[in-house]
Amino acid sequence: MNASQHGFRDGAREGFVAFLPVSVGLIPWALVVGMAMTSIGLTPLQAMGMNIIVFAGTAQLGTLPLIAAAAPLWLIVATALALNLRFVIFSAAIAPGFRGIGPGQRWLAGHLLTDGVFATCFDKLQRIDDPAWRLGYYLAPSLWTWALWQAFALLGIYAAHRIPAGWSLEFMATIALLVLLVPMARVRPMLIAALVGGIGATLLRDLPLRLGVIAGIGAGIAAGFAAESWPSSREPS
Amino acid sequence: MNSDAYLWLTFVLLGLATTLPRAGFIVLGSRYALPATLQRALRYAPAAALAAIVVPDIVLVDGAIAVFNPKLAAAVAAVGAALAWRNPWLPFIAGMAVLHGLRAL
Repeated sequence: MNASQHGFRDGAREGFVAFLPVSVGLIPWALVVGMAMTSIGLTPLQAMGMNIIVFAGTAQLGTLPLIAAAAPLWLIVATALALNLRFVIFSAAIAPGFRGIGPGQRWLAGHLLTDGVFATCFDKLQRIDDPAWRLGYYLAPSLWTWALWQAFALLGIYAAHRIPAGWSLEFMATIALLVLLVPMARVRPMLIAALVGGIGATLLRDLPLRLGVIAGIGAGIAAGFAAESWPSSREPS
Repeated sequence: MNSDAYLWLTFVLLGLATTLPRAGFIVLGSRYALPATLQRALRYAPAAALAAIVVPDIVLVDGAIAVFNPKLAAAVAAVGAALAWRNPWLPFIAGMAVLHGLRAL
């Protein structure tokens, strides 16, 4: 065995151990996303297809109501993009951690980038020198996330088929989106972005093509950004 | 509901709308960077988007704003549970219990 295989294995082992406790939190999300996909009428094949192709809980949950309402395709995609914009920032932040690693592995790493893996790996990827070690440290938690996500979504899909429609399982998706929102909205500009986004989309709901959703998102971003620069500059020092 | 082919097209486009933002800078490397102002503004997109999807769903009943409705009460219970406890299952239990409890009244 050569030195770089050693590095990869050591990195993978350490990354997996660091990430294992965090990964438990994925299980309810994957179950709920599986149930939610089923609740809007996707077949198990369609649901697993979506789960593998999209592989993004928030974007999946967020676009399901739009898919169910037969919203225009561009609106569904634009909403997913808005929900995924945080990854542009994560991707830019973690990119230096892939120095010395080839393009194929970078595409794989990019496709597998998730919030939990970003939070776990970001720091070590900047500090460790050996590229093989870094790749192992990143890929082990990423592939574990992928496997957990597919397995528990599948379980959720089959569980949902056994639960009567009167149980309103689709509301689980709404609760899941709210639970994602809660930790974000602890910071005040973020709370303002959410309030303006939510109220804006509600008030503008009669716009054609469900444009109110996009208008609400745009207003929310602007409000959050404005709130960030406003109060701090006016606070007495 | 949509046709099968249309759904798969939707999934592929959603996949691109997920993988490209994720992989973009990792593949390009650290040669390129986003302007700092744009980065700061983009941080608000997920919160604004989540709320823009969820809020209309929980405050509207048959297209009209209803301040007292089971879904809104269930949402309040779920948010309360998420704020008070770290257990990831509790918001679902609290929210679904309130939703069904109020509908049964």
